Amino acid sequence: MGKHLLELKNLQYSYGNIKVVHGIDLYVDEGEIVTIIGANGAGKTTTLQTVSGLTAASGVKGEILFDGRNIGRTRGHLIAGQGLVQVLEGRHVFSKLTVAENIQMGTYIRKDKANINKDIDQVYEMFPRLYERRTQLAGTLSGGEQQMLAIGRALLCNPRMILLDEPSLGLAPIIIKEIFESIVRINKQGTSVLFVEQNSKIALNVADRGYVMQNGEIILHDTSVNLLQNEEVKKAYLGE
Amino acid sequence: MIIQILVSGLVLGCVYGLIALGYSLIYKASGMLNFTQGDILTLGAFLGYTFYGVFHIPFILTVIIVFIIMLGFGMVLEKGIISKLVAKGTLPIYTVLATIAVSYIIQNGSMLVWGTQSINFPRIFHVTNIKILGVNIQTEAFVCILVSMICMVSLHIFMKHTRFGTSMRAAAMDPLAARSLGINVSLATGLTWGISAAVAALAGMLIGPLYGVYTTLGATIGRKGFASAVMGGYGNMYGAMLGGAILGLVETFTSAYISSSYKDLVAYILLITFLFIKPTGIFNERAIQD
Repeated sequence: MGKHLLELKNLQYSYGNIKVVHGIDLYVDEGEIVTIIGANGAGKTTTLQTVSGLTAASGVKGEILFDGRNIGRTRGHLIAGQGLVQVLEGRHVFSKLTVAENIQMGTYIRKDKANINKDIDQVYEMFPRLYERRTQLAGTLSGGEQQMLAIGRALLCNPRMILLDEPSLGLAPIIIKEIFESIVRINKQGTSVLFVEQNSKIALNVADRGYVMQNGEIILHDTSVNLLQNEEVKKAYLGE
Repeated sequence: MIIQILVSGLVLGCVYGLIALGYSLIYKASGMLNFTQGDILTLGAFLGYTFYGVFHIPFILTVIIVFIIMLGFGMVLEKGIISKLVAKGTLPIYTVLATIAVSYIIQNGSMLVWGTQSINFPRIFHVTNIKILGVNIQTEAFVCILVSMICMVSLHIFMKHTRFGTSMRAAAMDPLAARSLGINVSLATGLTWGISAAVAALAGMLIGPLYGVYTTLGATIGRKGFASAVMGGYGNMYGAMLGGAILGLVETFTSAYISSSYKDLVAYILLITFLFIKPTGIFNERAIQD
């Protein structure tokens, strides 16, 4: 068995006495796009935030291996430097900073100053609308533009793996398509992707593999192709 | 005459503005009221007096040393007390009480060290007065205004045009997103308290030579600084400065043309009026919703 880029082993998370993630196993290999689908409150967001160290370390049990290192106890702001960056649910752009300043914050941890400008240009190339609006306050952008900004900003951390929480949330279908196209492009350029999505149909069409989460547990795991054919998935998550 | 009143008004206004800046920065970073600001001013003035007046360290060096000490003090206050209380689940309103407690501890503690008498801060410059537009201005007053301006402009440049300053604003705006991008939010918050304390201490060293140094020096100034921040738009850096200037000028002109007995009366009536007609302050800061 080869080494996975990200591997969760019996990961559990509790907020105080309330356990929301009940021991899940999951892996993502280098170069893959993997999705976690499931209903609201299944524990998807908690799982993702636990991986990126944004939940309290005291609630974590089990192992989170990234590139072979256990990062389960690593605190939030130190995770990005390990090459793992999360795009949060609801975009979370810095609303009173300009687009350019938001972009600059993406490069905050970078040590290779020489490449930063080139990478910023690349993000602007991928999302030309951000370039047009670079002097605007991020709070004045549309939802889709904010999502692009959040993704572009995360990319500038130069991650090996990017985590996205509900990238389609609250967006118009045409924008959702655009966002997922860019996610696929990012993946093709060599960044591994793990994303959480309520819109299971889109998620499984984009991802290589999928995990189905319910009540804090993984109940199914297969390739996206198989999951799309799975009767149970069809009935519960694809509305067919 | 009018220029002299204007200058004394601006001296006060600058000092209020510097204190108000601290209130605003801290509010933005932690959503907290820090009532130690005024007493940190007092502490800064006492330390300045001790280094400059007692140990005869050059004034510039004294300012730098005290600035650094108080930067550390502010950070320790946040890291050692405030964020510890917040982590224990103390309600924010109680944490405000904790800052009031610390404020009195500083006030009474400085009484232990420096006594209850007002101390004269030795003169900083050999030239007593400088002439501006044909009017004699006390050198220390001129320097107070000048240094305050420099301090405000530097702080503006630091917060708006440096990576680190921008990261501090980002951390204050959205701590979760900031952390996900690798920004050390806890350090940024601590540093905000540190900068606020250092700026307040600087204000103390600027006003000490003009007003003398005594334990309750900062108490009134602290309250006025808070009022300035509210009038300017709580949480807004520029509003803080403008609010300070307005309050300082109103106070001095009241003293000059009506009576110095009524200067606080007029100042606080102005504050209440502001709360009624422009609750978001001059810079329209929506402190509560933000």
